[in-house]
Amino acid sequence: MASGVSGYAAISTRVRAMYSDLLTPQDVVRLSDAPDFSALVGALKGTPYGKYLSGLKESEMTPRRVILQIRNRLADSYSSVVQQAPEQTRPLVRQLFRYFEVGNLKAVLRSIQTVSSWNSEVALWDRVREVLFPFGSFSTIPAQAMVETGSIVSAVELLRGSPYESTMSFAMKRYSAEQNLFPLEVALDLDYWRRLWGEVKNLKGKDREMGGKLVGSLLDLNNLMWVIRYKIYHNLSEEELINYTLPFGYRVRDEDVRAIAAGTDIASVVSRIYPDLHDVNALLERPQAGLPKLEHLLKQQVMRQCVSAFIGDPFHIGLPLAYLLLSDFEIQDLVVLIEAKSSKLSDEEFRPLLLKTTLIQ
Amino acid sequence: MFFPKEMSEVELIVPSKDLVAVAKVLSGHGVFHQIDSAYLGQENLGPSVWQEKAGAYSLLERRLQSIMQNVGLAEEYPVKAEVESVADLDVIRPKVDRVEEEVKRVSDNLLSERKRLELLESQLRQLEPIADVNVEVGALRKSSFMHSILGVIPAANITRLKTSLLRVPHVFFTLREDAQKPIVWILGPRSNSDVLDRAAKSAYLNPLNLPDEFGGTPEQITAMLRREIELSKQQVSGSEADLAQLGISHKNDLQKLLWEVHISRIMADAIVRFGQLRHTFVVVGWVPTAALEDLTSKIKEVSREVLIETMTAGRSGHHTNVPVALSENKWLKPFQMLVGTYGHPSYGELDPTLLMAFTFPLLYGAMFGDLGQGLVMLVLGVLMHNKIILKGMQSLGLLIAYCGASAAFFGYLYGSIFGFEGHLVEEYLHFHLEPTWIAPMENILSVLSVAIDAGIVILIFGFLLSMFNNIRGRDWAHLLFGHAGIMAFLFYLSFLAVVFGGFFGSTALAPKIALALYSLPLPFGTLMIVFGVFVTFGGFFRNMVEGHTLIEGKGIGGFAMFLVQSVMDLVETLISMLSNTLSFIRVGAFAVAHGGLSLAIFSLAGEKPDVGFWITIAIGNLFIIGFEGLIVGIQTMRLHYYEILGKFFHGGGLQFEPLKLSPSREES
Repeated sequence: MASGVSGYAAISTRVRAMYSDLLTPQDVVRLSDAPDFSALVGALKGTPYGKYLSGLKESEMTPRRVILQIRNRLADSYSSVVQQAPEQTRPLVRQLFRYFEVGNLKAVLRSIQTVSSWNSEVALWDRVREVLFPFGSFSTIPAQAMVETGSIVSAVELLRGSPYESTMSFAMKRYSAEQNLFPLEVALDLDYWRRLWGEVKNLKGKDREMGGKLVGSLLDLNNLMWVIRYKIYHNLSEEELINYTLPFGYRVRDEDVRAIAAGTDIASVVSRIYPDLHDVNALLERPQAGLPKLEHLLKQQVMRQCVSAFIGDPFHIGLPLAYLLLSDFEIQDLVVLIEAKSSKLSDEEFRPLLLKTTLIQ
Repeated sequence: MFFPKEMSEVELIVPSKDLVAVAKVLSGHGVFHQIDSAYLGQENLGPSVWQEKAGAYSLLERRLQSIMQNVGLAEEYPVKAEVESVADLDVIRPKVDRVEEEVKRVSDNLLSERKRLELLESQLRQLEPIADVNVEVGALRKSSFMHSILGVIPAANITRLKTSLLRVPHVFFTLREDAQKPIVWILGPRSNSDVLDRAAKSAYLNPLNLPDEFGGTPEQITAMLRREIELSKQQVSGSEADLAQLGISHKNDLQKLLWEVHISRIMADAIVRFGQLRHTFVVVGWVPTAALEDLTSKIKEVSREVLIETMTAGRSGHHTNVPVALSENKWLKPFQMLVGTYGHPSYGELDPTLLMAFTFPLLYGAMFGDLGQGLVMLVLGVLMHNKIILKGMQSLGLLIAYCGASAAFFGYLYGSIFGFEGHLVEEYLHFHLEPTWIAPMENILSVLSVAIDAGIVILIFGFLLSMFNNIRGRDWAHLLFGHAGIMAFLFYLSFLAVVFGGFFGSTALAPKIALALYSLPLPFGTLMIVFGVFVTFGGFFRNMVEGHTLIEGKGIGGFAMFLVQSVMDLVETLISMLSNTLSFIRVGAFAVAHGGLSLAIFSLAGEKPDVGFWITIAIGNLFIIGFEGLIVGIQTMRLHYYEILGKFFHGGGLQFEPLKLSPSREES
């Protein structure tokens, strides 16, 4: 306990202070009341995101640029938590942060694939970097150099020495044969989550318990959505579904994944895992609209886990992890708002997609 | 000292002919924080030639880095690196081409030979696990009833692959255990070949593909491969030696070229962000006012026709775009770090570092008052600061030294040394030490009351600083109706008088300040209600002063919701005022607890001053310094972050990041 208190005193104080700076559900409602994109940006300037937007000129206030700027706050939060987290938990926080680098890596590969299929000679980097997460000095991938190679094979060669080298060397054999990014992306995802879970298992005591709960819940969400989507949209076989998913998590067990892969009714499995979710059958009847809703409901479950981490003993890694995940969910909400306002979507179309406002109920 | 350095905005109109010289001065002094002013330029001038140059320099820099990496040279600049001017691309590019060509020839050979070697070694590795199997390679592929897959798989995927094949008859061998790339062999009925193949493929199993020309048994093939590998290794070491030789012969040239290209790239990047007009360039940036005169005179030395306009940024008003340069004082560094963890000060606001340098040791010392233990901490801190022990923790060492000095001072006031107090000092240490102020263990309630008084003073100071910041920022709405504005301050004073002076006035804990307030002939009850109304509807009044919509979020829940929220605001304010004030009671409580902990050590040590007694006292003191010292540090930090800084400090300032060319400065 003493080492927990001494290790977490500063960071839990800091995280609580940062937590109080997150937007409240009422703030999100207020932001969603903004009549248009520029009013939304104006309102955002009055929030803790204001300092990230203050450097932008009027002409730069594009939805994509604003999203990039507000993501800087999440990057700063990660950077702050990584620096202050106790030594033994830093690998876990760093690996959690790497989620965005994996996202960047996928975006880079997609951009190369898209342009090479268009056979365009447009210099792409300026457009690509706007959609990348501002990973800063933590990044281990030479994104610009990769984009400039113009070919997947050459780009992947530049990953030599990075944490992705081994995974990509196996997956590239399949890419060469299939000329499809799917195997690369699946391999990256599986490797990411395996490493993250491995870092959780390296912890001890309360850290391990809370890490398992939060990371496991997030993993459940991904694992479950993978197996459902691969089955419904890609029509993959049982053995492929098993190989493209993971056998661990918090509530989702390997037997659940295997049951779905073997053809058991998906709704019954989901209802067994999450008894408090209603109308799962109805959601899965029309997967095109239902699956995003199901994912939304599962994200709410994770969010509630994160909020509950702030109750009780604060001397464990759960608090910083929960704060980082909540920050990410908050930015997902803001991205929904920015895209909705810039595309002039009606309230009915975007409000159900907001995560934070569900905490009001 | 109390504020970030005063900054001046500089706007230059630079004639095209002096562009490079001015860019060199701006980049070379490490005091100019550039603002992107490209948008001030004329759009009809077409793409800037400097954009192209910046790209070209960047490319050249990357090529040079790659060359240096190939020949095994570290990226270093010449020892006496001077800033000349931007390098002429037509001169420098052929030089880079020439060296690159020379290096590329050798490195391409090396690369292809390494690939061949890698392939040969991989083929050898593939065969080694089955080296003792006396069968013709390829025979497995020709079986009529069995389907066989032999290949390399990521180690992490093996379990999952086995799980995926649970419902299919098969045998699974791991031929080579390897943490990264084990070799496995799956054998099953040919009728299930599609399932086996799909499972293997989705587990990223890469089947071994040996070339058709490999005939014979695995043993024969491996012998042949080993001979080829030996030859290939000789070729590789020959090429590596050639590259190393090239590195030695071109070292000086490469370092000089890299330096020239590097500074040219930095200057070109800076120039790209200048606004280009027909014959001139507009340059905008920020400079600490103290460095302004020196910089402008240097600019005028290189360009007589340059127009310089400067404007010092006033401290009042909003200055979110002004970069903030903090004064560098090594004695304040630990407090700057503590403040930095909370936030970077913004330009117009007070830098709380100096305040924290006073209050942090003060509160720490008050909680951990012990002359002997304080002096031990002081010595420990000085040793850490001077890198004699625990190197790399100089700032923490300095903080410990400050806190130790303060603890020693309070120990003198409390009459406490290594836990000995009162008659114990004379009995065991044989000298006289009387408390010069107060003995916490004997005056528990007085100490707690003084602590609350001290807290009230600090909180009032926090309110005043917040108001001061609001006045400087001309934020009248928050000055009057903010959470730490005038109305909230007056409400707090009335609250102190009514609650602490009146309600708790007869208790021994009643703070003197509250009692003094309560004795004033003022109707504090009525005043509390009046100021309470302003606090309750603070948002409404702020909107009124700022000319915004009076009731925010009126649509959600209507007026009733607004009222509920306002009342909740009042309740929250009351609770936080009560808890903030009482929070400082911990300062007194820890001073008392310190004495209590020492008593516990004494009861463990016994009464007879033998060796065991002194060992127990020494270990107990070490425990107190380590354990209680840490907890008091946490409490002090908590008091600052929650109760003090939150009152007046917002942070969120833009960091000052000047252009720099000098390699030594860049490294620092």
